Amino acid sequence: MKRLKFDYSMVISYDTAIENCHYTIKCFPAENERQRLEELHISIRPRNSSGNGIDSFGNRYIYGTVLRPHDTFSFHTSGIVTVGMAESEAAANEGMMGAYRYPFGLTVPGDGLRYYFAGMDFSGRASDFDKAVYLMHRLYDDFSYVKGITGVNTTAEEAWKLGKGVCQDYAHILTALCRMAGIPARYVAGMLIGEGFSHAWVEICTGGRWYALDPTNNCVVTDSHIKLGVGRDASDCMVNRGVLHGNARQKQSVKVIVKEV
Amino acid sequence: MYDLDLIEQADTVNELLARYGVKFGIYKNNTFKEQLFPFDAIPRVIGHEEFAYLEKGLKQRVVALNMFLKDIYSEKKIVRDNVVPEDFIFASSGYMAECEGITPVKDIYSHISGIDLVQGKDKNWYILEDNLRVPSGASYPMIARELCRRSSPATFHNVKLEDNRNYAKLLRRTFDNVNVGGHTVILTPGRYNAAYFEHSYLAEKTGAHLVNGSELVVRDDNLYYQTYSGKLERVGAVYRRISDEYLDPMNFNPESVIGIPHIYDVYRKGNVALLNAPGNGIADDKGIYYFVPRMIKYYLGEEPILNNAPTYLPFYDDDMKYVLENFDRLVLKDVAEAGGYGVVFGSSMTKEQKERFIGLLKREPRRFIAQEVIDFLDIDILEGSEMVPRKADLRAFVLMADEPLVWKSGLTRFSRNPDSFIVNSSQGGGFKDTWILSQ
Repeated sequence: MKRLKFDYSMVISYDTAIENCHYTIKCFPAENERQRLEELHISIRPRNSSGNGIDSFGNRYIYGTVLRPHDTFSFHTSGIVTVGMAESEAAANEGMMGAYRYPFGLTVPGDGLRYYFAGMDFSGRASDFDKAVYLMHRLYDDFSYVKGITGVNTTAEEAWKLGKGVCQDYAHILTALCRMAGIPARYVAGMLIGEGFSHAWVEICTGGRWYALDPTNNCVVTDSHIKLGVGRDASDCMVNRGVLHGNARQKQSVKVIVKEV
Repeated sequence: MYDLDLIEQADTVNELLARYGVKFGIYKNNTFKEQLFPFDAIPRVIGHEEFAYLEKGLKQRVVALNMFLKDIYSEKKIVRDNVVPEDFIFASSGYMAECEGITPVKDIYSHISGIDLVQGKDKNWYILEDNLRVPSGASYPMIARELCRRSSPATFHNVKLEDNRNYAKLLRRTFDNVNVGGHTVILTPGRYNAAYFEHSYLAEKTGAHLVNGSELVVRDDNLYYQTYSGKLERVGAVYRRISDEYLDPMNFNPESVIGIPHIYDVYRKGNVALLNAPGNGIADDKGIYYFVPRMIKYYLGEEPILNNAPTYLPFYDDDMKYVLENFDRLVLKDVAEAGGYGVVFGSSMTKEQKERFIGLLKREPRRFIAQEVIDFLDIDILEGSEMVPRKADLRAFVLMADEPLVWKSGLTRFSRNPDSFIVNSSQGGGFKDTWILSQ
């Protein structure tokens, strides 16, 4: 168990002023048996009227529209979270589990992943948890972490064929593999101790409880990760989603700092 | 009945329909073509008793379908109790996880349902398809009746007929039942939509505002209509004539320019009613169609009043065996397609096509349903001055207001091609008025 202080900031700058820009931000540490939120500060600039809600996957979000012309949009959230309070968390909506067991969106496997999965040897691995950990180890060995090759819309199948990618690709591929094995799996967006970007990993459900695996680091998640959102794939829990009217070119920079306190 | 004066006036009616812009847009090879929706003056007539029977069956069906939708997006008892296999829910493109946990106003999902029926030569009616997303077509018989009465008042003196011009009233009652406060608007994608005539006509007749996406805005968890002077007025119900996918670029297809950013967030909070509710595609899926009679028994504890066309699900081994043995006399439908697409007749395939199709069927059994080809009761249409028999179906409209309401009319569509069973207007068919006798 650790107490972590986090700081997430995102700045989008446009080359010409835009107006009527819509945003949805899902960047608030979830509260569950594993982690507890102790402190939270949010700031969104320019100021605008906003609302909030909880989506069908249980993610808290803030949404709104910036009406007046602006050339910078920024979002900053910080706070303190206690993580690693338990090794798993109860599955809240059992009826929805099918949504995490069937292929969806960016995790739909193609021939490449199907062939890869067919070569898995599950002998001696009876539990779903052991199977999922085995899949994670295999993926870690067979895939390389390389930045700049894949993008936010890269599918698990495409990434697998490239053989390299980033945490989002690891998470999509492991999600796809677990689902092929009949294990409900979901994509997790979050943050990891250190300085840099946001992170992504996977949760699998067995015995009515969710367990978290981090395929990029080849480990079972304990107390170094802060969970922000979950979904069938990355698109369900994108930290920031926006639509704007106009032709501006945008540059987005994200900085994440997580330290133990 | 063929000596009706109305038939003499057929050309006048068609001219009036053209003048009123009763058109149907068709996209073919990526170009948009607007064409007149050919009207045939010979009405389809359904007797009083017979329609009373249809009405009962239609209400029963739509009530059960609404219960199914509520169940699927919450507890999924029907899956847990093994009445519908989970494959048909979660592997269907109609299932939208984004609808989980959301309760539409008064638990109504399908406010306006278009149920397609055909009558067989045996005089039995069969349900062909349920349309619970954005069914269109009611405006055509509505305006046709109006123009027929104008062109040939004499015809209507002697027949005891249900007046179908009350559709707007029924629709209004359906809107008002779920409106959470404020205006009711009809949201259209614009004049290039196939059913634009209908959108504008229904707006005029119901007194709802006809709007496009850019006239609606979300502020502080509510939806507003932007008036000409720039004032914002609250909207309590949206009869949206655009599909789920395009409804909200912030929640669904981000490329959509016809939707309203964040409307789904407002809906999620219960601050606006959407007619029909998002997510209905799971209930009018051709695969789920097979289970509707079981749904009626499961939710209502009743025997279905109206029958499905005899349908087989290759997903089940017994059905697959039957389908392979009787392939040549069955019609096969791809569950993901609509509008008369993805429909093939076993009898019309070449040997190679058949082999290829059966291969596909065995690889993806869930993707298809097979049905007996119903021997339709042909109805007469006018071709020049000659009367010729053609295949036709009936789209009945069931509205879910404070109680289920069946419109005493419907859209009768016919195929102009004597060899075709496909009557969809998107494939160039024509339409008739549907007369329900009042006694």
